Amino acid sequence: MTVDDWLAALSAELRRRQVDPSGPVGEAAAHLRDSGQSPLSVFGPPAAYALAVVDSLRGATRELRRLPSGEPRLRATKITKRYGRSTVLNGVNLSVHAGEVVAMIGANGCGKSTMLRICAGLTSPDSGHVQMRGTVGFCPQTGGTAEFLTPDEHFMLVGAGRGATRTAARAEGRTAAAALDWPGAAGDAEARHLSGGTRQKLNLVLSQLGDPDVLLLDEPYQGFDNGTYLDFWQQVWHWRDAGKAIVVVTHLLNELDRVDTVLDLTPRSPR
Amino acid sequence: MKKTLIVAEMALREISRRRGVLILLALLPLAFYFSRRSEAYWQSVRFVSLGIGWTLSTAALFAGNAARGIEPRLRLSGYATHQLYLGRLLALWAIGAALSTPYFLLIRFDLDAVRYSGIALILLLTVVVAAPLGLAVAAVLPRELEGMLVLLTVVAMQMMLNPDKATAHVLPFWFTREIGEYAVTPGAGTDHVLRGLIHAAVTLGIVVAVGASAATVRLRRRRHVSIA
Repeated sequence: MTVDDWLAALSAELRRRQVDPSGPVGEAAAHLRDSGQSPLSVFGPPAAYALAVVDSLRGATRELRRLPSGEPRLRATKITKRYGRSTVLNGVNLSVHAGEVVAMIGANGCGKSTMLRICAGLTSPDSGHVQMRGTVGFCPQTGGTAEFLTPDEHFMLVGAGRGATRTAARAEGRTAAAALDWPGAAGDAEARHLSGGTRQKLNLVLSQLGDPDVLLLDEPYQGFDNGTYLDFWQQVWHWRDAGKAIVVVTHLLNELDRVDTVLDLTPRSPR
Repeated sequence: MKKTLIVAEMALREISRRRGVLILLALLPLAFYFSRRSEAYWQSVRFVSLGIGWTLSTAALFAGNAARGIEPRLRLSGYATHQLYLGRLLALWAIGAALSTPYFLLIRFDLDAVRYSGIALILLLTVVVAAPLGLAVAAVLPRELEGMLVLLTVVAMQMMLNPDKATAHVLPFWFTREIGEYAVTPGAGTDHVLRGLIHAAVTLGIVVAVGASAATVRLRRRRHVSIA
């Protein structure tokens, strides 16, 4: 990797993390020029160095966790769900405000997806109720797309439900896709021909069409490469700043410092 | 209406892209037709309509099952259940019309001494009934193989059951025999047409009620959610 390639890659990684690359890249370029050393031996891979730069700038660039201050958008109260004799959810409460990101975590089979579907109104609980204020966007863990439709057709179909014109829905979908590093959304590939990660991008884009007030995302990053995964969290923060209430089902504990509230559904854990 | 039409358009696009399936669907009634063409042309008329009935209801079964993944999302996006159901039904009726028109033309130029108006009516009613029948089966039997076997059984029984048996009369495509009698038998009265129309109307009512009710239950707004 040449110095120019390395600097370009560092610049791209910093932009992806919403950090202005001019300062860090300029400093790195000056150091490399003065030392005459290889960038990989001095700084390591561009992505790793970008992470180190972001960590050093964290306090100045983004407030990572904050107390909810917006109005309540979603309130689930005493949700109980049984499958046969097995109680999956037992009196679970969840409250999400505008401008808040909640991570729903827990072991496999502990009811994360069920809880999210109950919040979306797609599954009935055995008891409990959900109060919703505003419109909902839902990103299921699997499915949610039509095999034989192109991304643009998905955008038009889902957008029409929200009252958007074809042109507006298509433009909105393509813009959201570009934010996830998916410029190919304008192509004519049907969903069945998309890779798993790209199809999941489509799934995520569809959930945000029409600018819903509440976003319920069930492990939406499955199949994402590292860069898109970072783009996804940038997008989550962007939604939070725009006043959305967001629930992300996740099992990646290393992201928990990026959310405002954590709801652990693991049995016998404090809820 | 706009939302119903866009669902119909997208469903039509989806189905039209299953080219291999469409080719098979288009050719199967032809095999039914020629299986009895030389020795019993009057049966070939009924067989072709049953072939169309089976292929269209099977296409509807696949379309109904394929839609299950995206329909909850579409409900959350602002579609009403009836818009989703009607849109898909409209698309299937359009496919059925495109499928049956060449067969009407085939019969029109291949057979003499038949009433073409009666044949047009049989094909029309077959299309009208077969699409919601497939959607109703898809609603009740979400696995495609089971649904396809049920449809195959229905059509096979309709073909083979003694027409004097009451069981034959309650099967969904009995009207093809009633109206077929009028279409191919010289001197047959219009009472056959009337009975066929009534049978088709009742069948249509039942399969639409089953399919639409199942969709309404599956995609209902749950009572535990209150939206401010």
